[in-house]
Amino acid sequence: MTIAYDQSIAGDAETGRASTIERHIAQEKARARRKRMTNRLLAAGFGMFVLFLWWLFSALGLIHRLIIPPPGEVLSAFFRVASASYFWPNVMVTLSEIAAGFALGLASGVVFGVSVAMFESVRATIYPYLVALQAPPKIVLAPIFVTWFGFDEASKIAMAVVMSFFPMFLNTLTGLASVEPNAVKLMRSLTASRWQTFRYLLLPNALPTMMAGVKLCWTLAVLGVVVGEFVGASAGIGYLIHAFNFQLDISGVFVLILLLSIFTLVVYQLIENLEKKIIFWSGM
Amino acid sequence: MALDLAQLPKTEAQDSRHRALIQGSHLTKIYATSTGPLVALDDVSFDIREGEFVSLVGPSGCGKSTLLSLLGGLEERSEGTLTLNGQDLDRPRPDIGFMLQTAVLFPWRSVMENIRLPGAILGLDRKAQAERCQELLELVGLAGFGDRYPNELSGGMRQRVALARLLAHDPDVLLMDEPFGALDEFTRETMNLELLRIWSATGKTVVFVTHNIGEAVFLSDRVFVMTPRPGRLAGVVEIDLPRPRQTEMMREPRYSELVFDIRHMLGVD
Ligand SMILES: Nc1ncnc2c1ncn2[C@@H]1O[C@H](COP(=O)(O)OP(=O)(O)O)[C@@H](O)[C@H]1O
Ligand SMILES: [Mg+2]
Repeated sequence: MTIAYDQSIAGDAETGRASTIERHIAQEKARARRKRMTNRLLAAGFGMFVLFLWWLFSALGLIHRLIIPPPGEVLSAFFRVASASYFWPNVMVTLSEIAAGFALGLASGVVFGVSVAMFESVRATIYPYLVALQAPPKIVLAPIFVTWFGFDEASKIAMAVVMSFFPMFLNTLTGLASVEPNAVKLMRSLTASRWQTFRYLLLPNALPTMMAGVKLCWTLAVLGVVVGEFVGASAGIGYLIHAFNFQLDISGVFVLILLLSIFTLVVYQLIENLEKKIIFWSGM
Repeated sequence: MALDLAQLPKTEAQDSRHRALIQGSHLTKIYATSTGPLVALDDVSFDIREGEFVSLVGPSGCGKSTLLSLLGGLEERSEGTLTLNGQDLDRPRPDIGFMLQTAVLFPWRSVMENIRLPGAILGLDRKAQAERCQELLELVGLAGFGDRYPNELSGGMRQRVALARLLAHDPDVLLMDEPFGALDEFTRETMNLELLRIWSATGKTVVFVTHNIGEAVFLSDRVFVMTPRPGRLAGVVEIDLPRPRQTEMMREPRYSELVFDIRHMLGVD
C-alpha cells in the first residue's frame, strides 16, 4: 500500500476512477430520462382528464355554451375560423408585431444591460430613470401609444417593447454583475483587458440569467401585442378576439386563444431548446 | 551551507540564483472598513530570491492573502515600496502567475480550453500553446481529460487543471494562496510533491501561502512567519533540510524542531 502510494506521485487515484465516474454519469442520465417520461405521461393524463370533464359537463348541460362552449363546437369553430379569408392576414399582422416587439425588446434590453453593467458613467446617468420607468403598470400606456403611433402595427410593437424590455435589461445586468470575485481576480492577474474580461468571463457567466430573461421577454412581448390590439386596432388576433366576443362567438374566441397559446408555447419551447444548447455546461 | 558557498568562487549562475528578485520594504496595507481603518499588513519588509520557495504561514487574518495580492500587483499598497527586478510592482504582470484555493475554472470551457485561457488572453502563439498545454495536461496527470468539462471533475482534478493553467504562460513567479487547502490530506500531499517536482525542474520562484506549518517546512527554502492584528512578519525561518524532499523527512528530528520553532514564534504553545 505504501509503495503504491509513493508511485502515485505523478498519477492520481482519482484519474483511475474515470471509468467508474463515466458509468455513474450514464446511470444518472438514464434515471433522469425515465423520470422525464413519467412526468410527461402524468401531464398528458391530467390534460385528457380535464378535456373529458369539459366534455362531460357540457354534455350534461351543466355549463352554458355561451360561457364555455363544448369541445366539439370549438373544434368545428376552428375549421370555420381557419378557412375564413380574414384569418391569415390577421394572424400575420399579429405574428409580425410580436416578432418585431420581441426582437426590439430583447435587443434594447441587452444593449442597455451591457452598457449599464460595463460603464459606471452610463449606470450613474440612466439607471435610476430606467428603474423609475418601471413603476407605472405599463398597460396604462396602451391608449397613449395608440394616440402617438396610430391604430396600426407601431403602437402594438411599442407596447411589446415596453413590456419586454425590462426583464431582459435586468437579467442582463444581474447576470453580468453576479460574477465570482476570484474569477475577476484571475482575469486581472492575467492582465486581461476590460473587453477580454467581458468576452471570456462576464458574458458567458451571464448567459444562464440572460436566457431566463429571454423567456420572460418572449411571453411579455406576446402580452404587449395582444393588449395593444385590445385597446385599439384594425387588424390582428387581439382585434379578432375582441370582435368575436362582441358577436358572442365564444367558440371563435376560444379557438383564437388556444392558437395564440399554442404558438407562444411552441416558441417558448424552442427558446428552451436553444438555451440547453447555449448553456450546455449547466446540465452536466 | 552559507559558509560553503562563500568559499566557492562565485559563478554567474549562482549569483543570479541568490539575487533578491522581489524586495518589499515597510509594506503597509490599510483597508477602510465600515468599522474604521483596518491594518491588514503593518510595516513588513523582506527579500525573495530568484528561484526560491518561500512560504507564508500564520493564522487566518494575519495578512497572508493581502501580502500575496500586493505581490501580484492586484491591490494598491498604502505605504512602503515593492519591486520586482528593481521595477515598481504596482500592477499585474504576465510573468507573475496567481493560483487560489478554489480552482476558478470556467465551466463553459473544456479542461484544455481552461488551460489555454492565459495564452488566449496574452495573445501567445497558438501552435506553441497547443503543444505546451498538452504537455502540461500530462504533467499534472490529466492526459486524456482535455475534452472534459470542469463540472465533471473532482476537487483534486480541478486543482490540477488550475496548476496546469498557472504554468501555461510560463510565469517566472508563482503566487499560490492555499492552493491545496480545500483538498483532503492525501491529495494535498500528492499535489505538494508534484509542485516540488515542477519547481525543481523549472527553477521558478514560488510564494506559497498556507496555515499548515508542517506543509510550509516540508516545501520551503524559507518560511515567513506572520502574526495577526495587525498583520506583521514575526520572523523568517531558514529550512535547512536537504533536497529533494521526501515524505520520510517528516520523521526526522530536524523537521520537528523547525515546526516547533515556528509554532513558538506564532505563540501557539
Ligand atoms: N478587501 C478587504 N476589505 C476589508 N478588509 C479586508 C479585505 N481583505 C482582507 N481584509 C482584512 O484584512 C485582514 C487580513 O486578511 P487576509 O490577508 O485575507 O488574511 P489571511 O489570508 O492571512 O487569512 C483580515 O482582518 C481581513 O478581514
Ligand atoms: Mg487568506
